[in-house]
Amino acid sequence: MREPGAEPTRTRRRVRGALLVAIGALYAISIPWYRETGAAPDTWLGLPEWVTVAVVCYAAVAVLNSLAWLLAEVSDAPGDDRGGGGP
Amino acid sequence: LSAAWLGGIGLGVYLALLVVVAEVARRARRDATPADHFLAGRGLGVFVLFLTLYATAYSGNSLLGYPGEAYRRGFSWIMATGFMMSIVVAFHAVVPRLRPIAVAQGFVTPGDWIRHRFGERGAGPTLRVAAAVLMSVALANFLLAQLMAMGHVASQVTAGAVPYEAGVVGLAAVVLFYETLGGMRAVAWTDAAQGVLMLFGLGTLLVWLLGEAGGLTETTRQISAVAPAAVAVPDARECANWASTILLLGLASVVYPQAIQRIYAARSGRALKRALALMTFMPLTTTLVVTLIGLAAIPRLSGLEGVEADTVMPRVLQDWAAAGPGTALLAMLVLLGALAAIMSTADSVLLSLGSILAEDVLGRGRRDPSTTRLGKRIAAGVMALAVVLALGRELTLWRLIELKMELLIQCVPAFFVGLHWSRLRAGPTLAGLAVGAAVAVAGVLLDRPRLGGVHVGVWSLGLNLAIAVAGSRLPLRSLESAPAAP
Repeated sequence: MREPGAEPTRTRRRVRGALLVAIGALYAISIPWYRETGAAPDTWLGLPEWVTVAVVCYAAVAVLNSLAWLLAEVSDAPGDDRGGGGP
Repeated sequence: LSAAWLGGIGLGVYLALLVVVAEVARRARRDATPADHFLAGRGLGVFVLFLTLYATAYSGNSLLGYPGEAYRRGFSWIMATGFMMSIVVAFHAVVPRLRPIAVAQGFVTPGDWIRHRFGERGAGPTLRVAAAVLMSVALANFLLAQLMAMGHVASQVTAGAVPYEAGVVGLAAVVLFYETLGGMRAVAWTDAAQGVLMLFGLGTLLVWLLGEAGGLTETTRQISAVAPAAVAVPDARECANWASTILLLGLASVVYPQAIQRIYAARSGRALKRALALMTFMPLTTTLVVTLIGLAAIPRLSGLEGVEADTVMPRVLQDWAAAGPGTALLAMLVLLGALAAIMSTADSVLLSLGSILAEDVLGRGRRDPSTTRLGKRIAAGVMALAVVLALGRELTLWRLIELKMELLIQCVPAFFVGLHWSRLRAGPTLAGLAVGAAVAVAGVLLDRPRLGGVHVGVWSLGLNLAIAVAGSRLPLRSLESAPAAP
């Protein structure tokens, strides 16, 4: 029989995992490794475009990371963390 | 009133308030145990926890070093916003697992985790001491950077009436006084006030700077005109450095001793996660702001090189103060905010250093009140040594941060992997830490901070992890004890 509250907990974990993956992708996009080196950029929102992309990525990381923390299970009792693989 | 008098009065009022807070914190203490002195009796709620995490993370380096680095490197320093945010992201790997164990076991220092995880036999105790020594060296380095920043700002806030050397010595004495008297409570309460002051001051300064230059677009155009390389898309080496710095800061900050101790000091897990959910936005309101301030200084100030670029922020503030009596007062408040941020980091570092050296290195008990007394004495000794070193100024503030992180990051396997992989053993972890630290130090001694744009500390972490993981998979269990269960 399924433990009460297990399904919402699993869903929260999945959503949190997806948020962390999205954060990783945003970090990869924020670094302009895919742009032509040394090119003189256009200005977007008052900043060079590659800088605007980075700032937008970091703003999105902040929102997603904040949600991920609100979904995190930070217990004060040992054993409550069901993540597995502890020492 | 002259700028020197105005600054002197402001500084005097601020320091007097710190002394009052220290006395209130002393009266609020429950007992003389290390947990009460070093962790405020494990009673920090969301708001104070958030502000103390904020004021501790955003130090003199952020306020003086980051504008200086933005001035030197141009727009690619936008990476600072990303790497400061990566710290709060990296905590996902540690906080949910470490917090419940820390509460159950009554941890006070980072070494308590290592003792619990790797046990008291075999290589466990040596690993604990080695990690504590590495953390202490990194923290002492960090303290040095704060003292240097204190000297610069005290001199600036009083228009040179208080010389750099007097600022370093005098403010170090004040920090030592309130930290010794009030412990973590005094540190956290002053951090809270310091965080608010810093946020307000930086925001106001940025609005003035951009207004002066005619807006963000015009500022970018002016930078492009005087320093086209600062605006151009960075090359592959700089992009590699960008990724390397995000890794370096994010991972090393997982084992930041004063941050780990705030995980222990939270009133509850719920308070901790809410504080971290708020913390993740702070790079946008602080790091991004100081980066833009450093960039806006490029067309305003020319020819600052090396260590001199770390004075970009005070120079900009000097211009602001000269714009009128109202702005002089605001500039003084920003400088006091900067000084507050620096002192709040210094006090947290000092508190951590005292507890780590007393408990993890010298082996005093975490429930013994004599550990608290010893920690205070050690803190005084370390502060005296750091003051002597701060009186000579040779490295840039950013280089000091990199050195600290390259050493701290070598402790990552013991925490990050140790929390998630039950087969990690003390012997290989110790060997990895020793090799990783040796390679990082060799990079410093040979003056090769990066290879292919990636920090030597990040390369050596790879080596460190390979040794720790490969060694733990080898069938050598007879050489040391099996890991202790949590």
